[in-house]
Order: sequence, then structure tokens, then C-alpha cells
Amino acid sequence: MKKAIRVVMARLGMDAHWRGSVVVARAIRDAGMEVIYLGNQMPEAIVETAIQEDVNVIGLSTLSGNHLELAPEVVRLLREKGVRDILVILGGTIPPDDIPKLKAAGIAEVFGTGASLEKIVRFVSGSN
Amino acid sequence: MSKLFNEDVIEEITRNGDQWQQNAGHAGKANDREFRTLSGIPVEPVYTPEHTADMDYLRDLGFPGEPPFVRGVHPTMYRERTWTMRQLAGYGPPEETNKRYKLLLSEGATGINGIFDYPTLRGYDSTDPLARADCGRGGVAIDTLEDMRILFDGIPLEEVSSSLVTCQPICNITVQSMYFANARNRGVPLDKLTGTSQNDFLMETCMATAPGVLPPKASFKLSCDAIEYCTKHVPRWNPISFAGYNYRESGCTADQEVAFVIANAIACSEEMVRRGLDVDSFAPRLSFFMNGQSDFFEEIAKYRAARRVWYRVMKERFKAKDPRSLAFRFHVQTAGVALTAQQPLNNIARSAYHALSAALGGAQSVHIDGYDEALCIPTELSSITALRCNQILQLETRVTNTVDPLGGSYFVEALTGKLEEKILMLLEEMDGLGGIVKATETGWIHGKIADAAYEYQNDIETGKMPVVGVNCYRMDNEVLPIELFEVPETAKVQEKRLKRIKKERSDSEVQRALDAISRCCDEDGNLMEVIVESVQSLVTEGEITEILKDKYGVWNPPLF
Repeated sequence: MKKAIRVVMARLGMDAHWRGSVVVARAIRDAGMEVIYLGNQMPEAIVETAIQEDVNVIGLSTLSGNHLELAPEVVRLLREKGVRDILVILGGTIPPDDIPKLKAAGIAEVFGTGASLEKIVRFVSGSN
Repeated sequence: MSKLFNEDVIEEITRNGDQWQQNAGHAGKANDREFRTLSGIPVEPVYTPEHTADMDYLRDLGFPGEPPFVRGVHPTMYRERTWTMRQLAGYGPPEETNKRYKLLLSEGATGINGIFDYPTLRGYDSTDPLARADCGRGGVAIDTLEDMRILFDGIPLEEVSSSLVTCQPICNITVQSMYFANARNRGVPLDKLTGTSQNDFLMETCMATAPGVLPPKASFKLSCDAIEYCTKHVPRWNPISFAGYNYRESGCTADQEVAFVIANAIACSEEMVRRGLDVDSFAPRLSFFMNGQSDFFEEIAKYRAARRVWYRVMKERFKAKDPRSLAFRFHVQTAGVALTAQQPLNNIARSAYHALSAALGGAQSVHIDGYDEALCIPTELSSITALRCNQILQLETRVTNTVDPLGGSYFVEALTGKLEEKILMLLEEMDGLGGIVKATETGWIHGKIADAAYEYQNDIETGKMPVVGVNCYRMDNEVLPIELFEVPETAKVQEKRLKRIKKERSDSEVQRALDAISRCCDEDGNLMEVIVESVQSLVTEGEITEILKDKYGVWNPPLF
């Protein structure tokens, strides 16, 4: 039997809005994957949990505007630890101009306001 | 008895209605599209007196400014005083937000509606390692009384009413105290101050979360301390604004929004009575903050139903006598979740409908969202456009001419009744769970909201709920016609100021202040009484938070 995809979901820094992250976490779980929901964390703690839990994907969520500072840091910390097989994706209120910057920093995909659950689930389930 | 139709008339109308339905055939029934309100109430093709047959005019509607206040909380409503146009503003360091306040006031805003940044709302200083990426975001950064001085510099505190969106009690207990301390330092007596603070424990424990929040009981205690303090010392201040707006933004439905704010107000009222206050000493100052969502008629019915339920709760449960205790007063903000990042100028139209429903629903104040809010903090242009949208509604549409213009509409009255039923059922359920604080501790509220949020999103996915620009009428390769807001440098400004303050303030005074707060926690005293004095020592918000978390512990909201 194929091992289920494991995902860690976290809200970056102080961002307060959980609606998006919880709805996406439910959709991923309902699609048969395993979700570890972390709540608010800084990049160091997110990366640590992701490695410990041997996840395939890190799902980040933020609406506060801290994405350019914190999301690339998650990728950088992973690389520093020699991890290359964990996909990092980001959702939330992300100005379109920031998307190329985030992708250049190693974020695999950005799902902004209005992104469909189906698209997110498809992306995550294709991660292994 | 003041029934509008006698039984014979109703019978005849019903007979004719049945005949009509047969004649209307296919169109008279539900077809492939389900006709329901956003909260799931089935909607008939047409409403007649049959649907409001049980309505007793004087008992169920009455006159504006009179029980049960369904038609409005003031006798002549907007003819005498239009709703306050309170545009939310806050970003960056306090000197920047001070400029935006002054701009909005000079452009005709009639009150301040100040929002604080993420670290401030969660009780952290700008220099906290956890705060490093969120300083100045989503609101203005406040660390000490000095920041509060700068924020309101040059704004007449005795004239302008200020709404402080200090959502979480852990923030409110300090930041509201700073507002009061600043007023005193400027020689403005506390009993001259008018305004509102949000101060809702559900915000801290359910709606907006943070790394390590206070447990529900502790957060609720802080909230009640502020209510008690204001009742005694700041009588014209609304010490709490139950944040139904945010409950709805998190995902709940219209009936849940009202049921949760009222359940919360019931819990606060019970606690105030337990502390020995007379219900009519605090209830007139309990205020509500509601969400203007997209189902136009349901929203209007929601506001009307809320007034009827609140009236009955205060009258029957609490035996309130002062008419002001019985009147459900509320501010409306247009729904942020209804805004789209796609084709953002469409949001101007959406928010205008939301605001119109608030006006027809009898709101006391209205904030209209900026069209760019699904993308960023509103720019100056979008803030001003939102204010203009409010002014057009108030000055050009003439909806202010008469009170409760939809009162007596068969549909709106029937819907008001249905919502009232659903709200009362939820209130009963929460009573059975031991009240809202318990229902929060067990995660019941979180579950309800997450379920509704999931359903809402699934309805967008399947196309059952059309959202223009998102699941229909999309434009490929859309070029954004709007300029995005850049948050001004905040962390460095705040860090520099905090460093200077920490060097200049008296360590022994700070220690005395912190000891007093700590003692107050141990003695279960009213913390606001102590903190209003403590902030004079320039103790920081984060230093106060540390003591509170040390005394009350931290909690992980059961979200998933």
C-alpha cells in the first residue's frame, strides 16, 4: 500500500486568520492525506516539525503581509538542513507582484484569494 | 392584540395562493437551482400575509425607539441622526496612522476607528522575536503610553469618539488603559470620553489566534474587568463590542453570528451582576459589531431579529428596565470575505450592497471596506472611495428618509421571524452546554464555525454559490488596475523608540507597576484599575502580557 501523503499546515508568525488554513486542511484530509495542524509558528519551529514528522508538504498560510519575510525563510532553513524533498506551498492574501519573488525563493506554488480547493488538493496530492 | 389580518382574510389569501402556485407551475416551485438564504433558510417564490399571519404588530414590531425595537433603536432614526461613518484605519508606527486619522476626519469621517497591528493585538512588543515580521501590519504598533500619545496627538479626545479595535482582552486591558491614561494626561476627564473598545474574549480564543493565547476563562475575566471599570469611571464609553463581524469572517452563518454575540453578552451580563452591578448600569453600554454579507434581505432580517431577541433576553432574563439596556445597538462593517482579489474594482459594488443592507437594517455606524482589501491594506485612494461610497448612500439615495423602510414586507418579516427562531434555538443549545465560555473551552464554537466555513467554500467550489470573477465571469491575464499599499517601516522606528524609553524610564517605577499587576492577579482584583495607573511608568504592553500569561497560563484553541 502506498504511504499517505503527510502535510504540515502552519500560519506564519502572528497572522491571525485561520479560516483559510483550516478549510484547506480539511479538504486535504478529506482527500485521504494526513494533516498536522500547527497553528501559529515561526519558520524555525515549522521546519523542525516538518522534518521530525517526515512530511511531504509544508502548507503555509498568512494574510498579515509577512509572507515575503517569513515564507522564503522556511525554504532557506530546509535547504540549510539539506532537505530538498519537502514542497513548500503558501496561501493567503498575497499581492500578485510578490508571487514571482516567492517562487524565485523556492516556494513551489502560491494560492491567493479565490484559489480553488480542488486545485490545491490536486497540487498537494501530486507531491510524491 | 394587534394582528394585521383576521383569520378569514388569511384563509382566503392562502386559498388564492395555492391556486396561484398551481398556475405558476414550474416557476412557482424550486427548480434546479435551490432557493435558500446564505444561512440555508428556504425561500418561497412569493410572500403574502399568510406567511406573517401570526404577527402581532405591537407585540412583535412596535414603533421605532420602543419595545421590542425591531423597527429601530431610536424614535426617528436617520432623520435625526444618520449613522456614524467610521472608517477603519491603522498601519505602521503611530505617527503614520495619526496622519491617516487626520485625513479621514478632514474628509468628513465622523469618528475614529483604530485598528492595531498583529503584535499589539496579541499583547507583544514590537521588539519581540515572534513579532519581527508583523510589526505595523494590519494596524498601528503600540508598545507604551508614549505611542498612544503620538497616535492621538492633535485630535480632540473630548470631541471625537474613538473606536479602538482592541479585539483581544489581553491587548485591550493594556491599550485601552493607555487611551484613558493619555486622556487624563491631556486634562480630559474620563467621563467626557466617548468611544468603544472591542474587548471580546471570543476574539482571543476562537476567531483570531496567536502563538499562546490566554485560556477562555482568563480572557473572559479581563474582558469583564474592562466593562466593570468603564461602568464605574468612563460612563459614556462602550467597553465591549461583541465582534460578530469577526465570527462571520471566520466562517459562521447569519444566525450563528447573532446567537454567538448574544450568548457572549449574556455571559458578560451574568458576570457583571455577580460582581454586584445593576443590569441597567452596564447594559446600555453593551454594543455589537456585525458583518454585512452578501445575502441582502437575510442581512436586513438579521439586524431586525437581533433587536427582537436582545430585547426579550434583557427584559426576561435580566429584568432590565432602562430602554437603553433593551436596545441592540450595532456597528456594521462590510464583509471582507466577500471581497475578491480578482477584478478588485467589482468590490466597490459588492460593499455598497452590503452597506445598503446595513442602512436598511438600522445600523448605528457603518464602515465600508476598501476595494483592494483582498490584496493588501487599503491605500489612501481606496479608503477615500469607501468613505465616499458611505456618503453617497447617506446623502444621495434618500434611504434615510423613513425609518425601517422594509418593515411590513411580508418577506422581510417572515425572514426576521425565521432567523429569530434559529437564533433562539442556538441560544438554548448553548445554555445546555453551560454557556459560551464552556462552549469555547470544549471547542464547540470552533467546530461550528469551521463546519460552516468549509461548507461555504465547498459551495463556491461547486458553483452553487456564484462569485463573479472567481467561479464565473473570470478574466484571463487580468491586469490589476490598482496600486498596492506598502506598509511604512515600523520595526526600526518602534525599536528605536522603545530603546530610548527603556533607558529613560525609572526601573524602580516599572518594577512597582509590574508588582502591582502581579498582586492584582493573585488577589483576583480588577486589572484595569491597576493597569491604568501602571502604564504611566512606561511599562510596555509585552511586559504586562508576560505577567498575565505567567499567572493564567496559555491555551491552544482546538481548531482542527
